[in-house]
Amino acid sequence: MKCSRCKAPAAVALPSHHSGFCEECFQIFFTRQVETAIRRQKMFTRDERILVALSGGKDSLTLMLELHLQGYDVTGLHIDLGIPNSSEKARKKVQDFCDLHGLQLQVLEMEKEGLPIPDVKKYVNRPVCAVCGKIKRHHFNRVAREGGFDALATGHNLDDEVARLFANTLRWDNAYLSDQGPVLPASDGFVRKVKPLYRLSEFETANYAFIKGIEIHSDPCPYSSGASFTSHKEIWGELEHRSPGSKFQFYDGFLKRGKPAFAMMEHENGPELLPCRECGSPTSAEGLCGVCRIRHSVQENKAKAEQQG
Amino acid sequence: MIQVQLEPEGRLVELSGTKTVLGMLNRLSLRPTMAIVVRDGKLLTPDRRLYNGDALLVRKVTSAG
Repeated sequence: MKCSRCKAPAAVALPSHHSGFCEECFQIFFTRQVETAIRRQKMFTRDERILVALSGGKDSLTLMLELHLQGYDVTGLHIDLGIPNSSEKARKKVQDFCDLHGLQLQVLEMEKEGLPIPDVKKYVNRPVCAVCGKIKRHHFNRVAREGGFDALATGHNLDDEVARLFANTLRWDNAYLSDQGPVLPASDGFVRKVKPLYRLSEFETANYAFIKGIEIHSDPCPYSSGASFTSHKEIWGELEHRSPGSKFQFYDGFLKRGKPAFAMMEHENGPELLPCRECGSPTSAEGLCGVCRIRHSVQENKAKAEQQG
Repeated sequence: MIQVQLEPEGRLVELSGTKTVLGMLNRLSLRPTMAIVVRDGKLLTPDRRLYNGDALLVRKVTSAG
């Protein structure tokens, strides 16, 4: 196979684009996809400060590097979850990556926030992945808001977005379907959220990360029994193989034709948001937000357990 | 005989009788966009030929949670 652009031997075949690229031209393709996403969705400008959520995986590190290379003002935020034999490895990958490329990084330790994930798993009677996700989203937004950042960028790629949209569609979850998309505007104490990799597949980000020599943290979380949406991704992987371009068509079609209807419905029926009494984050609950309630629950249950010996 | 280093599992697999990257991926029950394939530090497309003694890295792309 030859590169569609320069006719050198191709390194990456992209059936959904009827193309193949050599390593050099693939990077140009990748950069243009990110530029298109930012421009078409009006994600942010070069004058704005962007906080990038960094897990240590290929997508978030790829996003950070690409935005930096495009000249954006980016700061990374890594949340250290405090999980033994896992969190320290992820944190080191992120720190080494940021040191290597001279990137700004903030690290927030859940231990210091009273929410180390091992305690959450032990003392909160809910699926740990759901609670962990909620805690991370809460703190990403809080740090972005308190740090005066204009946007919070995450490394969600096309596969992530399609899997999530598919799951929300299977449940016909109006609330989630009303605001899923590559841009969530700022409102009611929420900082603008953006997903500049939404036009790129997991395969494409993996190729980019390899070409750029990005050392990633790829160990699965010891608490997850498999990634969220993994089975949906497998189903879509098969669909995409049989009909290249299906993922993007499904997602893009939703953004253009599906989402507006759900957004209208939710606008009429959505809950009112008020600041949390304790941390100031927006919440639809009375008084305390969900994460502050989880923190109290961890503290109370831990104290009880320690009393009982 | 080719040697395949599977990531993220870290497993080493030996395969014989596979002539192309696509054939090798089929043997591993992987679609071409489910993994990147590397030989001597270079990415390979599914149509590339494989040779006896090749050492390949096959890195699955789906995040592991």
